[in-house]
Amino acid sequence: MLKTTLAGLRARTARLVLSSIAIVLGVAFVSGTLILGSALDANLHNDFARQTRGVDVSVEPGRSSSGSADEDRGGISQTQLDQVRAVPGVAAADARWGAQVPLVGANGKAKSATVSALEGDQRLRMTDLQEGRMPAKADEIALDATTAQTAKLAVGQKVSVLDQADKPVPLTIVGTYTQGVSKSSLSGDAAVLLPSALAPLAKEHYVGQVVVAADQGVSQQQLADRISTAVGGKLSVKTGEQYTVDVLKQISRGSGGLTQFMLVFALIALVVAAMVIYNTFTILVAQRTRELALLRCIGADRGQVFRSVLLEALVMGLFASVLGLGAGVGLSAALQAGVGSVFGGSKGPVQLPLTVNTVLIAFGVGVVVTVLSAVLPALRATRVAPLAALRSLPDSQDEVRRTSVVRMAFVAILALLGGGVCFIGLRSGDSVGFIVTGLGTMVLLGAVIALGPVIVGPVNRVLGALPRLLFGVPAKLASANATRNPKRTAATTAALMIGVTIVTMITVAAASGKESVTSEIDKQFPADYLVTSAVREHPLPTSLADQLRAQPEVQTVTPTGSAEVKVNGKSLYLFGTPADSLGKSVQLKQSQGDVSRLGPDTLLLSDSQATRYGLKVGDRVRAGGATLTLAGTYSNEDQSSAIVSLETLQRIAPGTGYRMIMIKARDGVSPQAGQAAVEKATASSPIAEVASGAARKSDLAGRVDQMLMIMWALVGLAVVIALFGIANTLTLSVLERTRESALLRALGLTRGQLGFMLLIESVLIGLMGAVIGVLLGIGFAKLVVSALSTDKLQVGFVLPAGQLAVMLAVAVLAAAVAAVLPARRAARTSVVAGMAEA
Amino acid sequence: MSALASDVGTRTAVAARDLVKVYGKGDTAVRALDGVGVAFAAGQFTAIMGPSGSGKSTLMHCLAGLDTVDSGSVHIGQSEITRLSDRDLTKLRRDRVGFVFQAFNLLPTLTAEQNILLGLELAGRKPDQVWFDTIVDTVGLRDRLRHKPTELSGGQQQRVACARALVSKPEVVFADEPTGNLDSRSGAEVLDFLRMSVRKFGQTVIMVTHDPVAASYADRVVLMADGHLAGEIANPTADSVLAALRHLGA
Ligand SMILES: Nc1ncnc2c1ncn2[C@@H]1O[C@H](COP(=O)(O)OP(=O)(O)OP(=O)(O)O)[C@@H](O)[C@H]1O
Ligand SMILES: [Mg+2]
Repeated sequence: MLKTTLAGLRARTARLVLSSIAIVLGVAFVSGTLILGSALDANLHNDFARQTRGVDVSVEPGRSSSGSADEDRGGISQTQLDQVRAVPGVAAADARWGAQVPLVGANGKAKSATVSALEGDQRLRMTDLQEGRMPAKADEIALDATTAQTAKLAVGQKVSVLDQADKPVPLTIVGTYTQGVSKSSLSGDAAVLLPSALAPLAKEHYVGQVVVAADQGVSQQQLADRISTAVGGKLSVKTGEQYTVDVLKQISRGSGGLTQFMLVFALIALVVAAMVIYNTFTILVAQRTRELALLRCIGADRGQVFRSVLLEALVMGLFASVLGLGAGVGLSAALQAGVGSVFGGSKGPVQLPLTVNTVLIAFGVGVVVTVLSAVLPALRATRVAPLAALRSLPDSQDEVRRTSVVRMAFVAILALLGGGVCFIGLRSGDSVGFIVTGLGTMVLLGAVIALGPVIVGPVNRVLGALPRLLFGVPAKLASANATRNPKRTAATTAALMIGVTIVTMITVAAASGKESVTSEIDKQFPADYLVTSAVREHPLPTSLADQLRAQPEVQTVTPTGSAEVKVNGKSLYLFGTPADSLGKSVQLKQSQGDVSRLGPDTLLLSDSQATRYGLKVGDRVRAGGATLTLAGTYSNEDQSSAIVSLETLQRIAPGTGYRMIMIKARDGVSPQAGQAAVEKATASSPIAEVASGAARKSDLAGRVDQMLMIMWALVGLAVVIALFGIANTLTLSVLERTRESALLRALGLTRGQLGFMLLIESVLIGLMGAVIGVLLGIGFAKLVVSALSTDKLQVGFVLPAGQLAVMLAVAVLAAAVAAVLPARRAARTSVVAGMAEA
Repeated sequence: MSALASDVGTRTAVAARDLVKVYGKGDTAVRALDGVGVAFAAGQFTAIMGPSGSGKSTLMHCLAGLDTVDSGSVHIGQSEITRLSDRDLTKLRRDRVGFVFQAFNLLPTLTAEQNILLGLELAGRKPDQVWFDTIVDTVGLRDRLRHKPTELSGGQQQRVACARALVSKPEVVFADEPTGNLDSRSGAEVLDFLRMSVRKFGQTVIMVTHDPVAASYADRVVLMADGHLAGEIANPTADSVLAALRHLGA
């Protein structure tokens, strides 16, 4: 039997290779994702390794006995550092700390940069010099290589940072470096200064870690013990080894998200691939009915037939896994190159770590999916009666016209289940509800797939009407062919339908989300322009408001501010807004007292803050130097939690400056002119950053679109697999209809018409999947969007008709492309040779 | 009626001259047709007979323009077809030639009626309703027109195929063992119909067969052996054909 199977494999190599492409792609996706995950881990590993290298002992602020993180902001003091340095066996000890400092770029505008204090000792530095040298004097600075590149700064140039009063401090760039992963390396700019230069720039000097290098001959543990004794129990002391272990723990949390995200899409691709394989084996078994029956006639038992089909699947799965793994390595390399270019700057060389796990999973997935997909067809093969060998079977039609009771029951159960899950999801109305609803829609998708063979006929009749009218006989034949075996067509279509449904769902949901977020921006953006500080810790100078008012294009200028005060021993962030802005830019939902006016001593609190501070309307509180009366509370949580008038804020905390300035332009001023005027008025302040609602919206839209592109690309693979499925089914159908094609040619169908007929059949199949998929996707998106909608955020439903039309067009085009090879093959076969085929 | 193609006053429907068809190359080359010259008169029913492998099917394929020849020429009516392009051959098959094969004559997706009209539709021609009715009634399929091929018996399927071959009023109908898969009664129905189409409608029919009884329905039998013509019998009977075949050593 084995020999027969292998001989069969050899005879059908071409078909099997074609079919295994689906599995190859699926395995490539999975293994590529896993390899990418390992590579990211490895990168992260390298980055973190820099942080821990050379460190023999790490000293960090201990957990204070009271346990409240709020109060213990002391960090490690200079005295404690000196104590550590004095411990015998300490070769060097340096404080690691940093601060957000405004760094003025070549364009004169400041951006917040994470500036770290340079470790005095070479061994303890976590940076690798790239060019020049590290700062040796207070007026020297070294920049992170990526920061220098994006800010267009080079070694030798002058640059300035702003001190706490926003006065520029001139510095010379003496070097660039690459650094480990510290929070700043992926997001934002980074630089290094001498500690003495950094101290006056920083608002607070919080030292979170002291790293220590040991003398020769002193073990990490010895030194850690000695330091622990020296600084008493106040600080937590650990060996470099322990520190490394702790740091590595963070890594596993770091890169897991992306890998999981991608694996979800890999799973979709695999499901689609499984359907394609299932379909392929079903067709192969059907076509081999006679051969299998003959085997049964000459004495093969059911088990042998079953095993021979499964063995074929096993060989195919192994073969596809090898190719898939290879393709996965390539995919991962491409992705890393892609990721590198998306996030700007080179993120080091492409790494392709191939772990044993990855290899095992790739083979497991490839082989298991293939074999499982072949089980049903193999079972069907065992039911072939020996007598079938004697019947003439012009076509491998299995009993397809009957809509079995079992099928309809199954559909009903799935539909009820999916509907129920969706209902629960819609009821719960939070982010969990959104996920539950999403799962429910997938169950509903399953119901539609199960219903497939029943709806293929009617759908085909509708979709085929136009081509039948336009293209005559070939279209008529194609339309008939498309449903001659509804199960086969349904399975082929289903693979495409899954992909299209998910793509549509994502697209429609994203469009709806984008729409509601932009309308949210409109609500929250009562002004035409916003001026904010580029550096959180540095408020805008109050003089800016006057400069803005002086512009002829500007109608109104509304500054706001904020300050931290102590109320009843707890800190409270006060938000200051002009008294007349209540009911306009600041809209409150009154719950107690009166929130419609802001007097000189009025304080307004959100309900939750009032509860937290134990205050009732009418209560008086001391805040800073003033006494405020709580005039009212409000229930909306989207507003600041404590509101006073701007004048009051300035009285309580003089010189705090503004946090934000809202500007309304005069009517008739063009957006460009308005923007220019605001920019001109704020040019003098390096920290002032101008934003407009329009710019914010387009920025957001751009980000949503980018995300959408990534999702499209990820689901796209599933669609590509499905298209291979179509090509595959067509090829197999063409093979089985060789005689028929020859007959048609003998009757006068031209080569061109024969090819065209297949093209239409393919397009019809593609259209069926795409149209049903788009309709389902829209419906599902509607469910998901309403699950996402809460009282706080109403998500409207938006139909991106243009994008959906493009998708349909692409599906049709791709289906046409899928028909090219089978059509050529069909047209090439000569009439006589075709007739001779058994 | 005289059966000689050279007879004055009888129009020639199909003629072949020095046909050579070689399959394969070198040692394994088979000369399936080795200089065959033959003519078929219009309005006549001719049977081609001979031992298996003698080149009957090959000859028919070449006469019908289904296959290319290595040398020699074939005329259908006045047209020389051996040099036609694929497109022109296709057109020829649509308009001037009808086929009945041994099996798999019908498209399983179409009804009997659709199958009958398929050739006309491909040619973009309107069926002649009277002619269609005549044929359908002659083959006795009136009540089966809406059935799919799988719902018809083998004999009925072959009669549908015959109807399709005739409905376009071709210059010649080629049939390769049209009764090969049928029992003697169904076979007789098909043969009756073919003969009637010749007698009643003046159709030209060329049929390959192994069965002496089938051949006896024809006006003339052409015998083949080893890619050559090996004689012919006018007004054959089952016995005379059997005798001739024995003589050939089949
Ligand atoms: N495609 C082909 N390739 C090679 N040889 C072929 C091919 N088709 C036919 N032959 C050979 O050509 C010769 C004639 O074949 P043909 O099919 O015409 O015989 P036939 O008289 O129709 O036989 P039968 O009565 O068995 O149908 C045979 O020897 C056959 O082996
Ligand atoms: Mg033959």
